[in-house]
Amino acid sequence: MNLRMVGCTHHESNIAVRERLAFTPDQAADALATWRASHPDVEAVLLSTCNRVELYAATAGDGPPPNESMVAEYLTGWHSIPLEEVAGHLVSLDGRAVVEHLFRVAASLDSMVVGEPQILAQVKQAYELACELGSAGPHMHGCFQAALRVARRVTGETSLHRHRVSIPSVAIADFAGRIFETFDDKHVLVIGAGEMADETLRYLQDAGARRFTLLNRDPKRAEALATEWNATVAPWGELHQQLVRADLVISTTGAGHPIVTLDYFRKQIAAERKQRPLFILDLALPRDFEPSIGDELGTYLYSIDDLSLACEQNRKSRERELPRAEHIISDETVRFLTDARMQTSSPLIVQLREEWDVVKQAELARLMNKLGDVDESTRQEVIRFADRLMNKLLHPPIQSLRDEAERDNHRGLLEALRRLFQLRE
Amino acid sequence: MVILLSGISVFCFAASYTIALVFEVAGLWVRFGWHRAAMLVMAVAGLLAHTLYLASISNKDVAILGSAENWYLVVAWVLAAFYLWVVFTSPGSAMGLFVLPLVLAIIAFAEGASHEPFAEQRASEFWSGLHGTLMMLATVTVCVGFAAGLMYLIQSWRLKHKLPATPRFRLPSLEWLERTNSRSLGISAVLVAGGFLSGIVLSRIRHGGEADYRLLADPVVLSLLVMLVWLVAAELFRLWYPAARTGRKVAYLTLASFGFLVITLITFTVTDIHGTPPANAGRRDAVTLQATSGLPCSAKPTTNRSANNDVEIQA
Repeated sequence: MNLRMVGCTHHESNIAVRERLAFTPDQAADALATWRASHPDVEAVLLSTCNRVELYAATAGDGPPPNESMVAEYLTGWHSIPLEEVAGHLVSLDGRAVVEHLFRVAASLDSMVVGEPQILAQVKQAYELACELGSAGPHMHGCFQAALRVARRVTGETSLHRHRVSIPSVAIADFAGRIFETFDDKHVLVIGAGEMADETLRYLQDAGARRFTLLNRDPKRAEALATEWNATVAPWGELHQQLVRADLVISTTGAGHPIVTLDYFRKQIAAERKQRPLFILDLALPRDFEPSIGDELGTYLYSIDDLSLACEQNRKSRERELPRAEHIISDETVRFLTDARMQTSSPLIVQLREEWDVVKQAELARLMNKLGDVDESTRQEVIRFADRLMNKLLHPPIQSLRDEAERDNHRGLLEALRRLFQLRE
Repeated sequence: MVILLSGISVFCFAASYTIALVFEVAGLWVRFGWHRAAMLVMAVAGLLAHTLYLASISNKDVAILGSAENWYLVVAWVLAAFYLWVVFTSPGSAMGLFVLPLVLAIIAFAEGASHEPFAEQRASEFWSGLHGTLMMLATVTVCVGFAAGLMYLIQSWRLKHKLPATPRFRLPSLEWLERTNSRSLGISAVLVAGGFLSGIVLSRIRHGGEADYRLLADPVVLSLLVMLVWLVAAELFRLWYPAARTGRKVAYLTLASFGFLVITLITFTVTDIHGTPPANAGRRDAVTLQATSGLPCSAKPTTNRSANNDVEIQA
């Protein structure tokens, strides 16, 4: 296939290189528009995410794949980066390898966190942008539509995407999600302002949470986080009231001792909460909540250690699913390439059918003349016989052609068919 | 169509539900690509056969809620329909593990219950229908509450023990289960109260003229009264004690309600006093029928016994 992909991914390049080569959505649109103007005969799709920047290109018609250095130079040149500076970080694939790679990317098998769901949407957006700008043609349509279908198949037939592996995602999806049906009406209290709190808030916001309250000894840091998450800041002295009101608590302080002891929780907090469910995610080390608080009625307390175990189990579950996902990718790649090769043979097959049909019609006309006055049902039966005979005779050569196309050996057979049946070019 | 209906027996849908349950249980350990489809096919086939069976018996002389057996089968049908609704709206939920055994248990109750029709009197047709319907809905509601309560306790236990979610055993969230529990408790209290009151009216109509008739001599009425008192007490407890509106306490209340329901159902199944006509009803009905239709009296013989004196009545 006349496909080419040049780019960098988290496998070969560090974040500094990826940042230099990355495209914002607006930049990607500009880059594709410029590409279309300068290379009207080459289709292109640009995929730019945190973990990869990849330019997919395909020559229209049956020409060779686009030149590797031409694509690489375009990619680096757009950012005014000399090719030599990043050449060692770039990867170039062509033909079958491009198809297989794209399928793996869309199905999230090539992601940094295997199975993360965002990549499928990103691939779809990149393809839609190329369609909008007209830089995607028949080759890219075929490739990307197949990639989206394959990704959905992997999602549907394996449980790869169901197993989350980061602590905040496991905490929210696998634990908080089993306590609360919805998050939009829940009060989320964040104690401290660590990095993990930031990531957890992202997952909570994705789950629908809207009411965030931040509590931090350093009000400046709390203000900064509050601005980012549209949250309210409460003074440290309000810890008691906030704990009574909260449905979810995320704690990430750097305190050297528990800030909430069992005795305090039991006497001051639990009595006022009246056993309302409370989810506590203690991400601090050492812990902010005494572990025995988790034994209180209606209180579900999770520390990093508790969740690490779940993350590890999920990681193992994903590993078990990987061979099935890889098998699907391999199957679909063969199918896609075979279909693509058969498309190049289709004009010849159509021609063969048409010529045989001419012969069939002539012979039918001759036979009907000889038979004279036959009733309509006999006439239809004879026509059906001729159709069936022709289809049965054509089936073995077409099947052989498909088998050879699967192994990419079909060109010789195509030529033989052309000569055997005297088909024109 | 008639031949098709006559070929369906209780065994058909009970077997279908059993196979669906086997698929649900097996799914805890191993799942095939066609697992969910096979489970759905069996559950849908079961509900279809169940529906056709109920349709066929409704064409006969006994009304759909007109005998203890039919009444149980309708309860089982509503629960099976609820199960299918959950399967379609929340795919992957392990609800079937809790609801299908209840469906099968109720079908088993139906098999053990009386096939004889309840006493029929034109004046009480409305109250009979109302009483049967309210009690059927109350039974379904308590069963749903029981399943939700059980699931709540299991989900809560798994969360307390930090056990991660598994795709093979997915339960609804505690919040959803708690809401379902609370609602089922409140709704069942109202339905049981309605069923009990309509039952009193019914017995007044049937036995009003009998000097020696005692309502509480019927063990079903007595156990239902105890259940009603429990449900009302549970509701008042929830009103006055806020902690009982959330968490495990609601689950315990619904489990206890189910216990009372089981006692009532066992009493209903084992004793055949409830719903039987008064001592002289057979003769009175026959006379009424003869007078209104002009036909000779030909009521079939029954083995029903009166509530008070265990006298065999041959109508």
